Formats: sequence, C-alpha cells, structure tokens
Amino acid sequence: MTVQADVGFLEAPDAQRSKQELDLKRFLVQLGLSLLIFLVAVAACFLLSPYAPNEPNFLERLSPPSASHWLGTDQLGRDVAARLLYGGVWSIGLAFLVTIVGAIAGTAIGLAAGHFGRAADVTLMRVTDSFFAFPELIAAVTIAGVLGPSTTNMVLALILVGWMKFARLVRSLSVDLAHRDFVVQARLNGLPSYRILWRHILPNIAPSLLVLWTNAWSRTILSISGLSFLGFGVQSPNAEWGAMLLDGKAYMQTAPHLMIFPGLAILIAVLSINLTGDRLRDLLGSNGAAAG
Amino acid sequence: MLRVEKLQLRLHGKPILEEVSFDLPRGKTLCIVGESGSGKSSLLRAVNGLMPATFDSLTFRPKNGRPISLKEYWKGRAGLPGSRWVMQDPLSALNPKLALGVSIGESVFAQKLKSLELKAAISAALADVELPAEMAKRRPAQVSMGQAQRACLARALIARPDLVFFDEPLSALDAIVQKQIAATMRRIQTRFDMTFVIVTHDLGFAAAYADQMLVLRGGKVEANQSAEMFFQAPESDYCRELIAAARELGGLPETVVQVSGSKAAIPC
Amino acid sequence: MLNTRSKVVAFILALGRRLTGLLCVLFGVSLITFTMTYFAPGDKASAIANARYPDVQGFPPEILDGIREEFSLNEPFFVQFFQWLYRFVQGDFGNSFASNTPVWDIFVANAAETFSLTATALVLGLVLAFALSSIAVWRPGSLFDRASVALASVGAAMPNYWLGLLLILLFAAQLNWLPAYGTGSPSHLVLPALTLAFWITASQTRLLRAFFLEAKAAPYIETLRLRGVSETEIFWRHIFRHAAVPALTMIGLDIASLLEGAVIVELTFARGGIGSLLAGSVLSRDYPMVLFLVLFSAVVYVFINSMIEFLQEIMDPRNSVWSHQQAVPSGEARS
Repeated sequence: MTVQADVGFLEAPDAQRSKQELDLKRFLVQLGLSLLIFLVAVAACFLLSPYAPNEPNFLERLSPPSASHWLGTDQLGRDVAARLLYGGVWSIGLAFLVTIVGAIAGTAIGLAAGHFGRAADVTLMRVTDSFFAFPELIAAVTIAGVLGPSTTNMVLALILVGWMKFARLVRSLSVDLAHRDFVVQARLNGLPSYRILWRHILPNIAPSLLVLWTNAWSRTILSISGLSFLGFGVQSPNAEWGAMLLDGKAYMQTAPHLMIFPGLAILIAVLSINLTGDRLRDLLGSNGAAAG
Repeated sequence: MLRVEKLQLRLHGKPILEEVSFDLPRGKTLCIVGESGSGKSSLLRAVNGLMPATFDSLTFRPKNGRPISLKEYWKGRAGLPGSRWVMQDPLSALNPKLALGVSIGESVFAQKLKSLELKAAISAALADVELPAEMAKRRPAQVSMGQAQRACLARALIARPDLVFFDEPLSALDAIVQKQIAATMRRIQTRFDMTFVIVTHDLGFAAAYADQMLVLRGGKVEANQSAEMFFQAPESDYCRELIAAARELGGLPETVVQVSGSKAAIPC
Repeated sequence: MLNTRSKVVAFILALGRRLTGLLCVLFGVSLITFTMTYFAPGDKASAIANARYPDVQGFPPEILDGIREEFSLNEPFFVQFFQWLYRFVQGDFGNSFASNTPVWDIFVANAAETFSLTATALVLGLVLAFALSSIAVWRPGSLFDRASVALASVGAAMPNYWLGLLLILLFAAQLNWLPAYGTGSPSHLVLPALTLAFWITASQTRLLRAFFLEAKAAPYIETLRLRGVSETEIFWRHIFRHAAVPALTMIGLDIASLLEGAVIVELTFARGGIGSLLAGSVLSRDYPMVLFLVLFSAVVYVFINSMIEFLQEIMDPRNSVWSHQQAVPSGEARS
C-alpha cells in the first residue's frame, strides 16, 4: 500500500490561506470580546443610571453638561445621557431588525430567482428591478408618510425598500456558483435542491452577504435617524437619536449640547459598523466590491 | 451497458459534436482522446444531460435494474442514475466549506443512511482510496491535490456506481501522484467491477488503461476502435500522427502491452 | 468574425432588449407606486373635497359620491390603474389636491431650487474629491493620504442632517455670517450646498483614490517612467484618463443618492425644492403630487442607470454587445 505517499502531506497546502483564516479568527474573537465589553458597559449604565429617559424634571431644564448630568438635560429636564442610551436601542436595534428581515427576504428571493428556472428568474428580477428603481429614502419617506408617521410604519417602509440589494447580490453570486464544479457534482449526485442551496450555495455566498449586511445595517441607522429627524419615524417623546436631534434643533443657540451629542452618537455607531465591515471584507477576501 | 448513437450537440448554432456513437460493454474502460476544444468534455456533459444534446438513441443498462429510456433520463436532468463523475480539478470539485467526509457522504444522500452507517461507509470508502479515516474531518484547503482527488474518487465509489465518468482525472496532479492515483483507479475498478469512461489527452495513459478508444477532433469522431487495434492499426491519418507524436515525446512505449487480460500489468 | 452589418443588427437587438427591460421596470414602478397610494389609509373622496372647497367643513354624502364618480374611485383596482396610467403617459399628471393647480406646474416651480442645490453641490464636491484624491495618491501611505482616507470614512458615516445643523450652529448662529434657513439669495445656497458637497466629496474621494491607485499600478506606467516621460504628463495623460471612466460611471450611479441627499438637506435648511415638496405632499396626502414625484425620481434613476449600463456594455470588450451571453447582472454597484 502506498498510503499517504502523496507529496505535500505534511506541509500546509496553502499557507497564505490558513494565515488569512487565522487572522479572521483572531479578528472575530476581538470583535466578540469588544462587543461583550461594550454590552456589559451599556447594561451597567442602564442599571446604575439614576435617571429614567422620559422622566421630566422642570427644575433642571436645558442645563449644560455637569457632574450630575454628564451630557446635560433637555428642554423638559430629561437626562440626555440616559436618553442617548435608550435611543441607541431604537436606532441600532431597529436597524438591526430591519436589515435582518430584509436580508432573509432578499436571500430567499435571490436564491429562488437563481435556481428555479428561467421564468422565475425573469419574473423575480423584474420585480426586484422595479422596487430597486425607487431611491431608498424617497420611497421610505413616501411609504412611512402615506401610512402615517410612526415607528411601525417606518420599519415597514425600510424593510420594503431594503431587501432588493440582497436579492441581487444573492442571485448573481448563486448563478455564478451554479456553474462551479462542486455544485454540478452535487446535482449529478442527485442531491435535492434544498440541500444544494443550503449546504453548497449559501455557505459560499455567506461572506459577501455578511459584508453587504454590515453595510446595509449602518446605512439603515442613518435612514432611521434621518426619517425620525424629518418627523417620519420614531416620534417624540421616545428617545431615538434622530428624534432627539429634531427636539434639540429648536434650542440650538441656548443649549447646543442637545444637538451635538445625538449626532455624535449616530456618527460613532455608523463609523464603527462601517470600519468593522471594511475589516471583515478585507479578511474574508470576498468579492465585497459587490457590496460597495 | 452504455450505448450512444449519433449524439449531436449544437450551441448557439455552432456544431460542437457531430454524430458521435460508441458502445461500451460492462467492466471495460473507454478512453476519449482529443486535443482541447475537440469536444471531449462536452461529450461527457452531453451524455450526462448537462448540455442539450440530441441522440438517435441512448441506452444505459445499470447492473441491478432495467434499462433507462431517454425520456426518463431527461426528466431527471442530472446524470445517468447509478453513475458518478470525477472531475479534473479536485479543489473546485469539492465544496471549500465542507469537510471531505461530508462531501463524500453526500454521494449516497439518496440512500438515507443512518449516521453511524454513513460514517462507516465514509471510512470504508476512504480506506478504499488509501486515505486515512481522519481525512474525513479535513476541508479541501487542508489537504494536498492528490489527497483531494482521492477524496473525489471516494465520493464516486462510495455509491458503488456501475459507471464512472472521469474528466481528465490526472492532469491537475504531478507525475508521481498521477501514477499512484492511476493505480488506485485500476484497483477499485477491478474490485467493484465498474465501467469507466475517461476523458484524457494523455495517450500514454490511454495506452496503458483503455479497452476502447474514441478519438475526437473538432467534434467529429476520428477513431472508434478497441485500444489494441487503435495502437496497431489506427483508423485515420490523424490518429497515426497522434501516436507518432506521442512516441517521439516518449509518452508512449514502442509496443503497447496488451493490458486487458491482466489489469495489474499497468506500471505503477 | 462578424461583419459590420451583423454587428449593427446585434447592437440594435441589444438596445431592443434593454428597452424592453426598461419598459417592464417602468411598468412595475408605476404599478408599485399606484398600489401604494390606492391602499393608503384615509378616504380619498373627502381629501379631494377638502382641497376643492377649502372653506367648507363636513361634506354631504352626495358630494362625496359625486367626487367618487368623477374620479372613478368606485371602479376596480386595475381599471383605476390603467385609467391613471393612460392619462399619465399622455402627460396629464392631474391636479394637486392641495392647491388644485396642475402637478406639473408646481413641480417646475420647485425643480429649479433642487437643481441649483444639487448642481452646485456636485461641482463643488467633485472638484474637492478630485483634488484630495489626486494629491493623496501622489504618495500613498503619506499623512495626507491617510487623512483623506479618514475623511472619507467619517464622511460616509456622517448624517448629513447633523452636518447641516452643525454648519448652521457655527456659521449662522455663532458667527452670523450666513443665513440659516430659507431660500432666495445666493448666500442661502452656501450652507446647504456645502452640506451636500461634503457628502459627495467623502464618497467620491474614496472611489477616485482606488481608481487612481489601480491606474497607477498598471505595468506600463513604470515603462513610461523608464522612458523618461515626466510625472506630470504620466498623471494627466495616462493615470487620470484611465481612472476617469470608472469614476464617471460611479458618479452616475450616485445620482439617486444625490436626490436623497437633496431631500434631507432641503428639509434641514427649510428650503423650497422637490424634497420639501415631497415631504409636504406626503404629509397632506396630496396623492397626485406624491405619485408624480415618486415616479419622477424612479424614472430619472432608472434612465440614468440604464444609460450607464448600456454604455458600459458597449465600451467593455469583455461583455461585448454581440456576445450571446447575457451581461453580468448589474446593479450591485449602487452604493
């Protein structure tokens, strides 16, 4: 027997690749740890903060940042720091929800277009193109406004305008993959479609999908805050960052901190997600250009 | 067991294959030879229904079961039942995200084995292609090309196919590994009584391996004869040139040993 | 090899395919838009009645029924849709509920505001982006280069409504140099245009920098350098020209984002324009106005995109028009 006489049994077959994988693992661990620390810190703030976000205090209206109110108070004497914390849950959390739903719907549609024949492909992609033709924010403003400005309607609107880019990416990648040898093999071996999609197509488009998703997430945070700032989203007194900006706008001259901190929060949140996404794209080496 | 009559393939109005016919008995090996672009790989794909070809007839008689009609075969659109395929580049033929064992096990997905049975079958298949059982846990990027191609072999043979198609199975590998894998192929072929269809451009390999030769050139059949006859009295001038060129390069011995009697005679 | 005539035929076929696709998308776009207003909550008849007789409170059912009859509001969905589409295609966009004047007139009156804002911002933003990125790639990795990358990252994450507020705070409220809100004089244009231009600069600097670096890395550049061609000439005649084509297509694709940016900036600075018009009509449920504006933005976007895709298709030898394969599905490039 000539067991394992093949050349190159011991050396790593692709040193470059495994280094990349190691880098990726290290990055994911770092990311997980910092997220954990961040979440613990936020939870601690929630627990230790003496102020409720919607609790007015008319004795301390529009007070600038001080030792008792680190980021000052707003026109009703509510603590800005506490409101920012709660606002983050709205802005970041709602955007998370919206993009997850959009990603799942878009992926399902993209896979269906790529794999269930020409008729399905043409129909689904024409529908996707039609939805894609509306500039996102304009469509969101219209839908949210026509349905009546509220958080639910804004979420609905953003889901409606957000799924198409996932559908397009998934469709184009999975059509490419369908011609790859291992997928042809799977078909020849008689695997059912669901298994081919689940085990062969999805895992191989997941990296690009992840990169696109981080991108969509940060953009949706901007959209949510923007819509709320324009009055089409989360409504006062709920402490969404954009809604806080809208409230603070009127007190620009007397209490600029009302306007500076929520904007800064949006900027930092979006920037961190973007940078994480960029790093992920580099590490995954996927065709993240498609997610630009 | 596999008979193809007058296969035609046209793509975008251009003829790719014209009137290709062959008849392959059970347990034998057909080598399809030709330069690149001659339609060798298209022939494999057409026979497996991956390309829209037309036939006068296509008959396939698996070992246990009735012959399959062309109509039934088109309904499936995914390969001849009871056949498997080994491709040229093992790294693209294996899903990079799946462990080798999973890829191999998928070949018998339709049998719905219990997980223990499946594990045993995978280990057995790995042993048959001379790979250690722990290879099942490795991913394609973590093994050498030769090991990956062996895994592809294991994926084919775990299903105990009657017929295995090979598309240039050795050309992605270096010479030593080629020789070892050729030997493994031969061993499992005799052991499991399988019929092979091998696409290759290596006449030396064909000389040592084939029972039957099918030479293609520009989509047309240049020769369709037994290997023995082919190397002694080729059907066409083109084949003569081909053999002479291979001899000159040293890829082909002066006299071809008759191999079909004792298959162990292949040098390895 | 194909001869010239079959090339022309293939070209016309490709154009035809694209136009068919375009028509399908435009039809889909109008269907979606109409569906949205059709199923919108609220009684349309009383909305029309309110607009027509602004002084009257509460309408007798006969008047509402008359209006329903007049506007075919009792017809089935598809009848209403095709009637509307038929009028729309003929250029009859209807009257605004709010002012009872033709939608088109109101649109034209507002378009100039938006156009001056976006055009100023586009020119300003592109000039800045070009200057930044060309200096940055002069020495990749230098402090300036890194600063421009950082600026681009921050710019992409910067909510432009917040940037607008900051500019108002600084230049209008504190320094009192420029007016904050409203329209009219050129000085009213400065802050909104700056806000929008900053966003363009940020997004385009990043792209231009990448294109420049790619063009600079081409092997023949080194050959030119060895041949003694001056750096200035290499940059202008080779690198710049090479990077310009992909950059232009990206700018085209960003027109949609520019429209979106205009909506936000107009509302932030309380300017007139299409964005404010849209927000106002949406809130007052002025459906003819909303339908027209949404369709207008979609049509503009679709046309620009199709034109760019078509140009790319005929310019790129890899997916030449006369190949039989469909071009790679496009559209992922929209950022």
